[in-house]
Amino acid sequence: MFRPPQPTSMHLNLAPMVDVLMCLIIFFLLAAKLVSAEHAPLSLPWAVAAREVAVRELGERVTINVRVAAERRGAVEYVVVDWDGRQIIERVLPPSELEGLLRARAAAAAAQNKELRCVIRADQYVQYRHIETVLRACGLAKIAHVVFGVNKGAEPPAGD
Amino acid sequence: MIRRPQPLRDFAPNLAPMVDVIMVLLVFFLLGASLNLIRQGVLQTELDPRSGPGAGAAVQIIPLVRIGIEDLGPGQPPRIYLMDEPLESLEALRQVLARRLAAGADPDNIVAIAPQGSVSWRYVIKTMDAVIQAGFRNVQFAVSLPSAGEKP
Repeated sequence: MFRPPQPTSMHLNLAPMVDVLMCLIIFFLLAAKLVSAEHAPLSLPWAVAAREVAVRELGERVTINVRVAAERRGAVEYVVVDWDGRQIIERVLPPSELEGLLRARAAAAAAQNKELRCVIRADQYVQYRHIETVLRACGLAKIAHVVFGVNKGAEPPAGD
Repeated sequence: MIRRPQPLRDFAPNLAPMVDVIMVLLVFFLLGASLNLIRQGVLQTELDPRSGPGAGAAVQIIPLVRIGIEDLGPGQPPRIYLMDEPLESLEALRQVLARRLAAGADPDNIVAIAPQGSVSWRYVIKTMDAVIQAGFRNVQFAVSLPSAGEKP
């Protein structure tokens, strides 16, 4: 015998959806933190011939920011974005540790059959010898692909 | 008047406003952190992977085009040398290199830039920019090996 369904009040269970959304938010929070740390505000040099690339196109990479040190005139700091197991931190490395870091990163990338690229983002007013230090470390760590972060376009007149 | 407590019923919190807020946050972070939206300008160079320790003798690259950058002191633009010949400006460098390419030079030839250590990074990038604008694609940098006792 056919029985018509009893009308019942329907309650949509939103709790699993909230869980998923929370996870997504945490992921994007961390991603935003990482991206902003990799793009620390620096006075980058300008280049007309620069190629615009999405960060994803750079692939496996280690970004080294070379910025002017606040304490000592003429000195620089080598800043590397790193994950210490709990949070994303900016580590200021002495030049002597650059090679070790690059070697470790290159070995980790090679273990995954990936080729590491070194992104050097240097303040336009630092002296070349400081970038040379990074280039030398890249050479010793056998990282062949190096890109320099710049602003695309002609240098604004005020910067002269 | 004393009211008797109502009998307990199923308690179901209304999650709809919370979902709304979370959705807004999610869209915000999606737009803010989307890796595709963040672009940067780059200039690329290649280092010789044969160099470095364990690779035998250091590889000496003999560039077909050699550019030197001499620091002339603070506030002064540096002097540019092409194959040890001084040039007036970066524009002159670009024109000379463009003429070489027009005359049949290979754009994949190695162009080595050897700046003095005290030259400002912006001038090094300007020089590299001029070389790439002229049409050369293989720009490399002269990197000196540290001498004993040198402090970077």
